[in-house]
Amino acid sequence: MPDFSFVFAQSLSGLTAAMFLFLIASGLSLIFGVLRVLNFAHGSFYMLGAYAAYQVVQWAGTGPGRFWVAALGAAVAVAILGGLVERLLFQRLYGKEELYQLLFTYALVLILSDAAKILWGTQQLSVSRPPGLAGSFTLLGATVPYYNLFILLLGPAIAVAFWVLLHRTRAGRLIRAAALDREMLGALGVNVNRLYTGVFVLGSFLGGLGGALVTPVKTIVPGMDTEMIVEAFIVVVIGGLGSFWGTFLGALIYGQVLSFGILFIPRFSIFSVFALMAAVLVIRPWGLLGRPLR
Amino acid sequence: MMLRVLALLLIGLLALPLTAEAQKSIKVGFPMILSGPGALFGEPALKGAQMFAEEINAKGGVLGRKIEIVSRDTKGNADEAVRVSRELILKENVDFLVGTLTSAEGPAVSVVAKESKIVFIAPIPKTDQLTAKDKLHPYVFRVAATTTMEGRSAAEIVAKWPATKIATISPDYAYGQDVTKAFVEHIKKLKPSVQIVDQQWPKLGEADYTPFINAQLAKKPEAVFSSLWGGHFVTFAKQAKPLNYFDAIGYNFIGVGEAASPESTKAMGADYPVGIWGNSYDAFYWPEGPAAHRDYTARLSKYLKDEYPSSWAIQGYMGLQFLTEAIKKAESTDSDKVSKALLGLGVDTPHGKMTLREKDHQLNRGQLYGKTVKDPKYPFAIMKPVVYVDPTPFMD
Repeated sequence: MPDFSFVFAQSLSGLTAAMFLFLIASGLSLIFGVLRVLNFAHGSFYMLGAYAAYQVVQWAGTGPGRFWVAALGAAVAVAILGGLVERLLFQRLYGKEELYQLLFTYALVLILSDAAKILWGTQQLSVSRPPGLAGSFTLLGATVPYYNLFILLLGPAIAVAFWVLLHRTRAGRLIRAAALDREMLGALGVNVNRLYTGVFVLGSFLGGLGGALVTPVKTIVPGMDTEMIVEAFIVVVIGGLGSFWGTFLGALIYGQVLSFGILFIPRFSIFSVFALMAAVLVIRPWGLLGRPLR
Repeated sequence: MMLRVLALLLIGLLALPLTAEAQKSIKVGFPMILSGPGALFGEPALKGAQMFAEEINAKGGVLGRKIEIVSRDTKGNADEAVRVSRELILKENVDFLVGTLTSAEGPAVSVVAKESKIVFIAPIPKTDQLTAKDKLHPYVFRVAATTTMEGRSAAEIVAKWPATKIATISPDYAYGQDVTKAFVEHIKKLKPSVQIVDQQWPKLGEADYTPFINAQLAKKPEAVFSSLWGGHFVTFAKQAKPLNYFDAIGYNFIGVGEAASPESTKAMGADYPVGIWGNSYDAFYWPEGPAAHRDYTARLSKYLKDEYPSSWAIQGYMGLQFLTEAIKKAESTDSDKVSKALLGLGVDTPHGKMTLREKDHQLNRGQLYGKTVKDPKYPFAIMKPVVYVDPTPFMD
């Protein structure tokens, strides 16, 4: 039996990974839930968020507070890009066959990844931890970096903010209504197109923010987009496409399975995640908290 | 005056097609990863080869003929590498192949070279398989180190450390497994008191190393061998540092797979775990290096317009260097003659004299190793002193 502090450290690392995944996958899930478009390019928005954060840090320097400016700036920039993409391109795709949507978002993945390569090259880029959160502390025998603690707190905060937005505001009610029946909502005089753009901007913002916040713990390289989209997909498939709490649950499970999987079957840690996804798909094809598609 | 200029121009115009007709260039196919994450290493390798070709062409070429490099993107995919290699041979009529990066691409293209009876020099793939007895054929050669040589070089260094409880962390695929196995076997031989207390195998491209780091620390190793390379190492180290991983093992960490390359230390800047050991194909700063290396670095720096030129360029450069020396020796571009000339060929490379062994077509290519330190001259960590580990005594 491994000692307690180790198990604790392991579960914390799983939780941190889960919060990152949640941040990114929630945007994907939101867009799918409302727009019924499986946005493959969500991983690309995540990647652009990372590159944009790097760029702002290059411009602004590494002084106190600069990282937060960079992270927020990057997320906003990605959100604006998301809005433009939705307005100019996605709007032509609603109601079309899924195959077209898939092809289109996949084309977007290729275009954005090449664009990133042209702008930033193929070099590995790296952003330092914000100075205030560079160190670590010991909790119950486990070393916890401050930055990880921040992510651990941010995840639930975003989840709660999200919940409030969806359930306690008019915009949230409209979003939920649009997910259920957009024709009816349109007939009731709501500007569905504008609502869609708003949802897409919000989803892209979350993707971009996830990308920006991940830079202090990961390397920014070409290919991070497709890597992340696969993980985000597993999360939303486990949790249920379009289900908000499902995404949260999926991310939590994913993180813990990965963390503890390596203890039991070290060579096949990634296998345990895929096995879990397969099991979920067999038993509940619509995910743990999702509902069957109409 | 005007007339004379015109006359000169005319002569020039007349002479041009004549020389081109008489001296067809020697075409070298260069299949290499030129897109995606691997391009970070493939691009500079191609640049190194191109610099060599331009330099030798300026001096009149080889056997009076110019060297022409025809590059193709393998996209890091063995099937694509085979496809573009065939295309280079059949459509472009290249005389030779120099290239490939991954340990999947190298052996795949080697088969093409065997079928087509064309000399193929692999500048980067390290898998032992490429020049293993059952895979070896007259046309394949390698100017990179092998996984055996790299793992053993690291073992030679770690055996001198006082640590006996040793752990490993390597990506779970051919290269990571082979180089780690070579390290473990060799260090047990060099120092029988060594215990391997833990082995972690994150998947290639793992995004979150934290669980592996925690699990490893729980086993309390005194030293660690790693073959996480490129961006994988950068991600790993960024996550390991705030977990006090490097402090816990007293910085007794050796990273092969070029963990101490200028590319990696530059990418990480202040986040680099300064004090660990690592290796690199090359280092533009190398005060103890041969004069030929300083000269090479100065030329490369100018060619790439980069103050801190890439450490991967030398692999493409050396691939072309061996090829052209063999062509000179064979006085022919016939692959059968050139492949014979390559056997036992010694060349003065920027890293000193090296020899392609007759028995397995493998170069006694070492790598640069060193403990990383901060140097006020550079905005990133460097290896100091830089040690060239000659693998000749332990290649078999």
